[in-house]
Amino acid sequence: MLLEDPWSFYAGCTPEANHELMLRAYIKKYDLRGQDLERLNVALAQVSVKNHLHAMKNEYAQYQRNVTLKNVLDARADAGKPLGLLDFAPVSDGAATLILASEKVAEKLTDKPVYVLGFSSATDFLTFPAREDLTHFIVTRMAIKSALKMAEVSLRDLQLIELYDQSTVMEMVSLEDMGFCEPGTAWRSIYESCQHYEGYYEVGGKKLFVNMNGGLKADGNPLGATGGAQTFEVFRQLREEAGERQVKADGNLNVGCVLELEGFGTKGYVYVFGSEKN
Amino acid sequence: LSSEPIERRVSYLGDRLRGTRCEICGKEYFEIRDYCGNCGRKSFGRMVGSDLFYEKGELEVCTLVSEPTNKFTKLGSYVYGIVSFHDGKIRVPGRLTDRMIKQKEKIDSSTLEGRAVVPRFRRRYSVEKCDIIPTISLAFTFADEYYPYQGYRAAGPKKEYDVPGIVGYGFYSSRFRIREGSIERAIPFIDEDSITAAVEAGKLGLIHSGVDNASVGKIYVGSESNPYAVKPIASKVAQVLKLGEESDDDVQGVDAVDTEFACKAATSVFKDAASLVDYPKSNIQNAMVIGTDNSQAAPRDCPGGELDLFVGYGAAAYVFGKTDLIAEIEGWYSCTSDTPDFWRRDGEPHPMHGGRYTGDPAYFKHVRKATVKLMQRLGLQVEDVDYFVAHQPNAQFPVKIAKELGFKEEQYMPSLQVIRFGNTYSGASPVGLAAVLDVAKPDSRILVTSYGSGAGSDAYSFVTTSQILDKRPRQKLTVKYQAENPFLEHVDYTTYRRLKLGM
Repeated sequence: MLLEDPWSFYAGCTPEANHELMLRAYIKKYDLRGQDLERLNVALAQVSVKNHLHAMKNEYAQYQRNVTLKNVLDARADAGKPLGLLDFAPVSDGAATLILASEKVAEKLTDKPVYVLGFSSATDFLTFPAREDLTHFIVTRMAIKSALKMAEVSLRDLQLIELYDQSTVMEMVSLEDMGFCEPGTAWRSIYESCQHYEGYYEVGGKKLFVNMNGGLKADGNPLGATGGAQTFEVFRQLREEAGERQVKADGNLNVGCVLELEGFGTKGYVYVFGSEKN
Repeated sequence: LSSEPIERRVSYLGDRLRGTRCEICGKEYFEIRDYCGNCGRKSFGRMVGSDLFYEKGELEVCTLVSEPTNKFTKLGSYVYGIVSFHDGKIRVPGRLTDRMIKQKEKIDSSTLEGRAVVPRFRRRYSVEKCDIIPTISLAFTFADEYYPYQGYRAAGPKKEYDVPGIVGYGFYSSRFRIREGSIERAIPFIDEDSITAAVEAGKLGLIHSGVDNASVGKIYVGSESNPYAVKPIASKVAQVLKLGEESDDDVQGVDAVDTEFACKAATSVFKDAASLVDYPKSNIQNAMVIGTDNSQAAPRDCPGGELDLFVGYGAAAYVFGKTDLIAEIEGWYSCTSDTPDFWRRDGEPHPMHGGRYTGDPAYFKHVRKATVKLMQRLGLQVEDVDYFVAHQPNAQFPVKIAKELGFKEEQYMPSLQVIRFGNTYSGASPVGLAAVLDVAKPDSRILVTSYGSGAGSDAYSFVTTSQILDKRPRQKLTVKYQAENPFLEHVDYTTYRRLKLGM
């Protein structure tokens, strides 16, 4: 993770502090207290546990090991902070290669090309505190909207998403920003889905497969290569080549989506991929 | 170090905390912007500056940073958060300063959030000896603790005086202290130094005097602990406080100068400031004099280490003018001799001291001469003087000379602040004067005699006016308030040395 904003840096910020501030702002905005607050904290820990669980089935993942709820909570207690070591993605070394080609060429190269159906990006203020909404990433909201429009795909058709989980908070908030959950409710869906986790979040009666490669948390976060790794996962899933972690969607899995954020939400990129062209 | 233009831009915006407001929709930005994101092209030319330097903010959310980025590691753990101004219209990142957080100390963010905070002018972080010292006001303290919120309202001059004098003053010292025996001494926090103290004192001086910052045409900053061997600090103070006429090019129309003349670097130029504002063609309405020091001393077991028992930290600022005076200058007398009882050779980290040589032939000889000569010149008797302020390097010297000159306890005790703040070098006699001005009634005569080692003495006679009472409520940070504050934090010797050196 990098701290791109000079003002935050001059004031003493760390990359991790922004995530914790967003969590504090989230708790305040949605007035979470008592049991709700406890469940939010557990839900965030479950995001980490879930991502590690997925990574154990990914031969390319950086951390192919199990992490328990207790491990995540203990790490927070050790740090004496709302988020601990196991809530954050690492900074990793890694590389990813994508071969992009026109439809004609792609169809010559492979029997099962994956099509770029839609894409979009958006930019916000570099300084996180200067943004109007401290609890969400406006860039995600803008980018997903126009990417879906371009792809002519509805949000309900999306079951496979690779989110940019630099922290567990980011995965939770992104579920809301993408539009899968109402603002202030994603933690509830995560909490309930993870009571007996079966490989997906259950959101609005629908299966949502999130970060099947282990996410940035467990697959690794090689910065510039991260988006490539996320795309690679969607590519494999859409081609049904993901082996043990191949998702079992309701109906056919023919679209997937990648969200990448830059500089704590300064820029957001959304790509919608499909196994069939529109 | 970032490139020079960026560094300058950062200091213009960050030292003073400036933003921009759209005149059309009222949206505010913490950055200089030519147009508004909401209003687009039509807002071009309609963006006005917004100033947060004297504002009160609210700590919206915060968290503990226990493993800071590289340049901040010397600050240890600290609370970092988001501060909002103008009911949330403008938000800035901020660090809570003046808090020492112990290892493994738990911070409950919810107990800190929602509280009012005041921007403080501090070092941004620690740098190597050869680097420029970066400063910023993205450091905050709680308004209900040591440093209360005080608004700044510049009012036009109401009353003119025939002679020049003091229009207002401010004294600043940190909330950290070391207590050894009967003496308590102030210590800078790790992000403070003589520059930050000078700015704080100057800010308080402007608040108290009520003069428009643009009316201050000259600033003198006297110090023996300029953190630079070569680089002025008065320019930084002038820029942060926006002294003198301001134009769009961010160059202040003020004459700024550093003075270094032992412990009388500030008092020496009281008369220059007064004369300047009195000279009709100077075009200078007000002049500011600041005495500031993070008083230097070698560690106790080293040569010169005896000073380590007395050194303090603080700054006092005085605004001189000819309108709305709180005290008129009645006269002065200065004397000089080359009596080198305190010195620091170039390249040496700490000053040396003349030991017993510093008493009779140095301090007493000069203070005695300046005081007696001034009293003779003005035809004053001891009983004509309400308060006597002598330079205070320790608690004994000023008492001894006051007694010798015939002053009584009620005349010299109110000024004796060295036992509260330590020897503040260039700020030592000015803080004594501030303590007296805090309590003096109108028509009181105050005699101040400073002393600088190897420099000499200045004696001044001031007579307070009735306006001293009008202005008194403007100053919450009085000398007594800072001396007897319930939020003072006492540290041990090791921490004291670390803070003093900014390490």
